[in-house]
Amino acid sequence: MDYDLNKEQNLIKKTAREFLSKECDSLFVRDMEKDEKGFSPKIWNKLSELGWLGLIFPDEYGGLSGSYLDLVVLLMEMGYRCMPGPFFSTVVLGGITLMEAGSEEQKKDILTKISDGELFVTLAITEMSAGYTPDKINVKAEKNKDGFVINGTKLFVPDAHIADKIICVVRTTESDNKKDGITLFIVDQKSKGLEITPLDTFAGDKLSEINFNNVCVTEKDIIGEQDNGWTVVDKVIQLAAIGKCAEMVGGGERAMEIAIENSKGREQFGRKVGSFQAVQHHCANILTYLDTSRMMTYQAAWKISEGLPFDTNIAMTKAWVSDSCRQLVALSHQVMGGLGFMEEYDLQLFFRKTKAAGVYYGNADFYRDVLAEKIGL
Amino acid sequence: MNFDFTEEEKNLQKEVVDFIKQEITPEVFDETENFGDIYGGPEARKIIKKIGDKGWLTPTWPKEYGGLEASEIVNYVIREEIAYHGLPFGFVAAHMAGPTILRFGSDETKKAWLPRISSGELEFALGYTEPQAGSDLSAIVMEAKDMGDHFIVNGTKLFNTSCHLADYHWLAARTDFDVPGYKGMSMMIVDMKSDGITINPMITMAGWQTNEVSYVNVKVPKENLVGELNKGFYYLMAALDFERMFPLGKYRRIFDEMVQYAKETVVNGVPLSKDPIIRQKMSQLAIEIEVTRLLYYQLAHILDKGGIPNYQSSMEKTFSTETAQRIVNVGMDVLGLYGQLKKESKWVKLKGQVEKNYRSSVVETIYAGTSEIQRNIIATRGLGLPRK
Repeated sequence: MDYDLNKEQNLIKKTAREFLSKECDSLFVRDMEKDEKGFSPKIWNKLSELGWLGLIFPDEYGGLSGSYLDLVVLLMEMGYRCMPGPFFSTVVLGGITLMEAGSEEQKKDILTKISDGELFVTLAITEMSAGYTPDKINVKAEKNKDGFVINGTKLFVPDAHIADKIICVVRTTESDNKKDGITLFIVDQKSKGLEITPLDTFAGDKLSEINFNNVCVTEKDIIGEQDNGWTVVDKVIQLAAIGKCAEMVGGGERAMEIAIENSKGREQFGRKVGSFQAVQHHCANILTYLDTSRMMTYQAAWKISEGLPFDTNIAMTKAWVSDSCRQLVALSHQVMGGLGFMEEYDLQLFFRKTKAAGVYYGNADFYRDVLAEKIGL
Repeated sequence: MNFDFTEEEKNLQKEVVDFIKQEITPEVFDETENFGDIYGGPEARKIIKKIGDKGWLTPTWPKEYGGLEASEIVNYVIREEIAYHGLPFGFVAAHMAGPTILRFGSDETKKAWLPRISSGELEFALGYTEPQAGSDLSAIVMEAKDMGDHFIVNGTKLFNTSCHLADYHWLAARTDFDVPGYKGMSMMIVDMKSDGITINPMITMAGWQTNEVSYVNVKVPKENLVGELNKGFYYLMAALDFERMFPLGKYRRIFDEMVQYAKETVVNGVPLSKDPIIRQKMSQLAIEIEVTRLLYYQLAHILDKGGIPNYQSSMEKTFSTETAQRIVNVGMDVLGLYGQLKKESKWVKLKGQVEKNYRSSVVETIYAGTSEIQRNIIATRGLGLPRK
């Protein structure tokens, strides 16, 4: 057993920490929450130059052929600084979907453009039923002589407002087994009949409603096999869940630092706040939540990277990290006191981001139920 | 990064499991239950010798002292697997006193004690706690008076479990009263059969016995002093660090049996395992068991890299013992009214293991440093928070 990152991963971590502390301070994060687009093209170009947009793509598509674990290391650092922008939607959701199921032509085209920083992609899964299981997919595509016509509404689609390509998870055939009959289509954002309405979110995430009103696509726009799309979506959801865990762990680390620093400096009753046992026990719990969340996330990412079975670990990890990091930030607020409640202090950023991340791609209750099945209950 | 065992470790794991399945008899199991631990009873002594012969009591020790010079991971695997299969063991001699002697003892002390410890021939009992010295062990007042070639020891120890079963007492006593406790304490090994030692049983809510042990003018030879005079508190702290690794195996086994029970028990035509609340609670336990596993093997990983686990031992101890209590608490809820039935009762489920461990697990968040002391350590050592 070896719990340590390798040399390259330590380098990614170090580089990302330095780069983001310079380019992505918390004022910038706040600006981007209010910004209509929600990202800075300048930073996006730099991410491309650093090779991070293609970190996990094969080199023939302009990538660095990194592992999922490498990506998780990077996502932790992005979480540490609450990095705004469409990295997660484009690279994790869009990129991995294409890596998993895209044709050679699609990969050559889209992954290369993502690596070069020229294209934004997202994945539209959820609808009004707001869940990540195949029975929740009801947006329909009907076949006609030219291809397919999509109708229906997708909700909570990340970064759809700026995505050039939206990968839509759509029902093409009704079937008793809800996993069958689902197809992935690449839809151009400029398609006729596509209407995107931004939603106002508490964590500052850019989510949208997408209405499909007779949107036409062709067979060429299908990713993977027609009617067999769910296996791909299912894997992407699981990998994305671990991606969100990585963001929560990074954010959790920063939240802890803020609270601990404050408790070492502030005095009450003539002594440092951090010297009181009631406070220390909160802090001990915070560190326990953080260390265990990090280990669980690394282990799950390691399994993904090694091609080992990962379903059980992902269910355990997303449930554990969602609950623990939320608790970690809540306790940090308790340790920090009134100041942490102020908008101008950074702790509140993490309180909001962590809860949102905990819900994306399945919350703790959802994964506990998934896990119950896996352990034979 | 690698979260798997090596082939060698996996083979050993299998060897341990096969061995223990073959060797564990209902008699050992009963004895272990009655004593609260696999400790000192006639049946246990037989099996411990066999484990000792294989080098599994002290796998990391040098070969000259009966070890295998194996990695800590191996040590941790052995203890977890043996615990899972019914012999939860953590020996004072092999796992707490022994490593301390190995690190701080003189050559004579090592030669005198270590081979007999690693072979499973000798058993020690802990001799730290006193009525006024629980969490604060620097407050020990048992006196060991220097008489030249021996000490004369007087005083009372409390909650000294296994003293009635062990061969020797791993004793902390004051050798200097003119300095603060932590500067005036020494560690020594005392023959439990020495004249002047009286053991008064104290029966726990778990049914097994711990003891009040009183010393009246007990003579202890000088060569039984461990390390240097008046350095005992540091040795004691080191021994506590060795003690703070808690394999969850025993409770992992109970959990697996609870899962089986929930699947097989049908109420109103529906198995308990399909109850959404039971699914949530038991899944949460499965997650916490996995978290404990990572914390546990992290300690071995740190040791194998040449480091010394710091706040991580406290974290593992706290998390593991608190998880253990959650496991049996949920177990009691899953069993419902059946949960209260004891081992010998008609209608008992899961051999009464759940209620038994529901009782016995209470002490685990107290001994070897309470959860509160552990959290103090995590906060001060792990996060650098000020002590005052």
